[in-house]
Amino acid sequence: MATKRTTPRSISRRGFLYGSGLLGAAAVIGGSSLLAACGGDDDDSSDATAGGGSGGGSKLVFDNWPEYIDGETVDAFREATGIDFQYLEAYNDNNEYFAKVFPVLSKGERIAADIVAPTFWMAARWISLDWAQKLPLDKVPNAKNLRDDLVNPTWDPTGEYTLPWQTGITGIAYNLKATGRELTSVADLFDPEFKGRIGMLTEMRDTIGLILLSEGKDPSTLETYDDAASAFDKLDKAVSDGQIRAFTGNDYIDDLVSGNFAANIAWSGDVLQLSKENPDIRFVFPEEGAMSWADSMLLVKGSEAADAAAKWMDFVYDPANAARITAEAQYVSPVKGVRDELVKMGGEAAELAESPLLFPDAATLANLRSFANLSEEVEAEYDAKFAEITGA
Amino acid sequence: MTATVAETRVPPWHRRPELVGVGMVLVLGLGAVALAAGWVPDALEPIVAGLLLALVIGVIVVAITGSGDVRRKLAPYGLLQPGFLWLSLFFLAPLWVLFVMSLSTKESRFDPSPTFSWDFSNYTEAFTDFRPQFSRGFGYAAAATVLCIVIGYPMAYVIAFRGGRWKNLLLGMVVVPFFTSYLIRTLAWQTLLADEGPIVGVFDATGFSSVLEFLGVMDNGRLLNTPWAVIGGLTYNFLPFMLLPIYVSLEKIDLRLVDAAKDLYSTAGRAFRKVVLPLSLPGVFAGSLLTFIPAAGDFVNAQFLGGPNTYMIGNSIQNQFLVQNDYPLAAAMAFVLMFIITVAVVIYTRVLGTEDIA
Repeated sequence: MATKRTTPRSISRRGFLYGSGLLGAAAVIGGSSLLAACGGDDDDSSDATAGGGSGGGSKLVFDNWPEYIDGETVDAFREATGIDFQYLEAYNDNNEYFAKVFPVLSKGERIAADIVAPTFWMAARWISLDWAQKLPLDKVPNAKNLRDDLVNPTWDPTGEYTLPWQTGITGIAYNLKATGRELTSVADLFDPEFKGRIGMLTEMRDTIGLILLSEGKDPSTLETYDDAASAFDKLDKAVSDGQIRAFTGNDYIDDLVSGNFAANIAWSGDVLQLSKENPDIRFVFPEEGAMSWADSMLLVKGSEAADAAAKWMDFVYDPANAARITAEAQYVSPVKGVRDELVKMGGEAAELAESPLLFPDAATLANLRSFANLSEEVEAEYDAKFAEITGA
Repeated sequence: MTATVAETRVPPWHRRPELVGVGMVLVLGLGAVALAAGWVPDALEPIVAGLLLALVIGVIVVAITGSGDVRRKLAPYGLLQPGFLWLSLFFLAPLWVLFVMSLSTKESRFDPSPTFSWDFSNYTEAFTDFRPQFSRGFGYAAAATVLCIVIGYPMAYVIAFRGGRWKNLLLGMVVVPFFTSYLIRTLAWQTLLADEGPIVGVFDATGFSSVLEFLGVMDNGRLLNTPWAVIGGLTYNFLPFMLLPIYVSLEKIDLRLVDAAKDLYSTAGRAFRKVVLPLSLPGVFAGSLLTFIPAAGDFVNAQFLGGPNTYMIGNSIQNQFLVQNDYPLAAAMAFVLMFIITVAVVIYTRVLGTEDIA
């Protein structure tokens, strides 16, 4: 349940994020039920709960993951368009956010946010539950800059409901001081030498996906539980052997730096930041292959701000704006042309243009897999089994 | 003659005001539950709410028009009303909703409104599939409660009897850390207990860690992510809830009783056992309840200080609600948890009940 993919600029802020996430989510629920009760509002206050009234598209609320944007883009967008745009870091956890909006959206009522940032598999769930509305893509000319491999992805086969916000890679991070040797593969995580010092992610798809890859199986073609049963069994055994110390969200950063974890499954953007400050922290694309993921922008059903949302998406799909976001968030941008813009920005940003984690080479890309789109029943089975193994 | 005329003129609601009072309390309570639990169709809700309001106004009118005696008899019910209404709205109604949910079936995973069907399989599943988490939850909570007594009682004793003018300062020092958020305090323990952290470092340097390793407290050179880290976190987080009630019950003990015991040739130890300890038991009793009950349902400590093999029932309920979206099963688990806690508390009260001492 922990937060995920916050960049570790200041780790001590994490506790604050948990709290503010809860508050923010409470505001979402509170605000949305209030809105549902009294219809639209024309109150112009700028707090979280007042967002997304029937202001004819001049208001826009985006619930995104924390620390996922630079400091300028939001203001620049407000100035360029005059839209009353509220960018909130209220999306802390896929399952939690889902559980919080579930009672509201499943009744056909609307939530305060116009755009939300579910990870790809969660976006698929929103689409299948009919909680999303089609994007007015004709008003997003910059959508042509979408990376070719992200056109019509498995989670949104027609590409009509989502545009990716950022994408990233799940691989292995290790602390060279703790391991004493360089790691190269997922199999290293099961080396008895590291008993009790291995971390894995609470994100089922990242953890199970990597284990499947290590067994030579393709996680992008799963259909039934049996297809992944071997990976679940392997994980189950590792947990009962005491090989795995903990399942975490983004908080693996602390454990990795302090040496509690010798190695763990990790997200590329996090580790890129860490390794700059501490050269012993390394990230590898496992030789068996790595998982790729995307956090999307999805227009919530019932939102009346479709036009404003289109303007926002167009704005951040402009390579110059996208490059500014990449320079700060340090994830793999879904926008073509970012690399050139980074070079133009010079300095540290230009260095990023050379990073293999931000712009992986063709060989790495060929080894990337994204987790299959599971049916509702199979997903429930996977989730239940994973919960059982992780102890909850 | 005039007396009987007056008697007959008194309207019925002035003749038996206590019945009016009881009626008001019950009808309002029931009405509040009905509104909150969704028994009333949405369209009728304003009407029902209006009727309830009219009832309150009616009773006030009865009180104003009645004699002083009527008002005197109505007053207790008026005073009872806010509390009863609160309980109805925020305890009885949610409990009822939870109960109905625990016996419901979902048609699909994301069925927004599970249908009530006397589905007891939720309960059997709660019992069979989550036995380790239940036993860990209660085991850790019991261990933490005992540790809280062991640590908290001497502290409370010293503050109450030896504190002197430092008493308030010492109490403040117990409470001040708890001005920080629960979550942050727990996360801080992660840092303290880390493998390369200060505590393990001292243990390693003094050779104490091999003793702990032998005792099974440390596992492979680590404290964090072991059952004892979870129990330690619970103990730390609930200590004031144990210490403060014990302090209060110790503080009001008349020390002359101890002097009297000593005058009668009792030793200090015997005086403590025969006088101070029994008189302080109500505090221990209250503290144990305040510690054990929330600790049994806690999930934060197991989440951050434990690992996959130390999760408690609170973690499982949270997972069922937030990840699996299985509200019926989660509701059944919550009910089982409440039931076991109730039974445990009733037994505890019977065995260690302190009514005749207090």
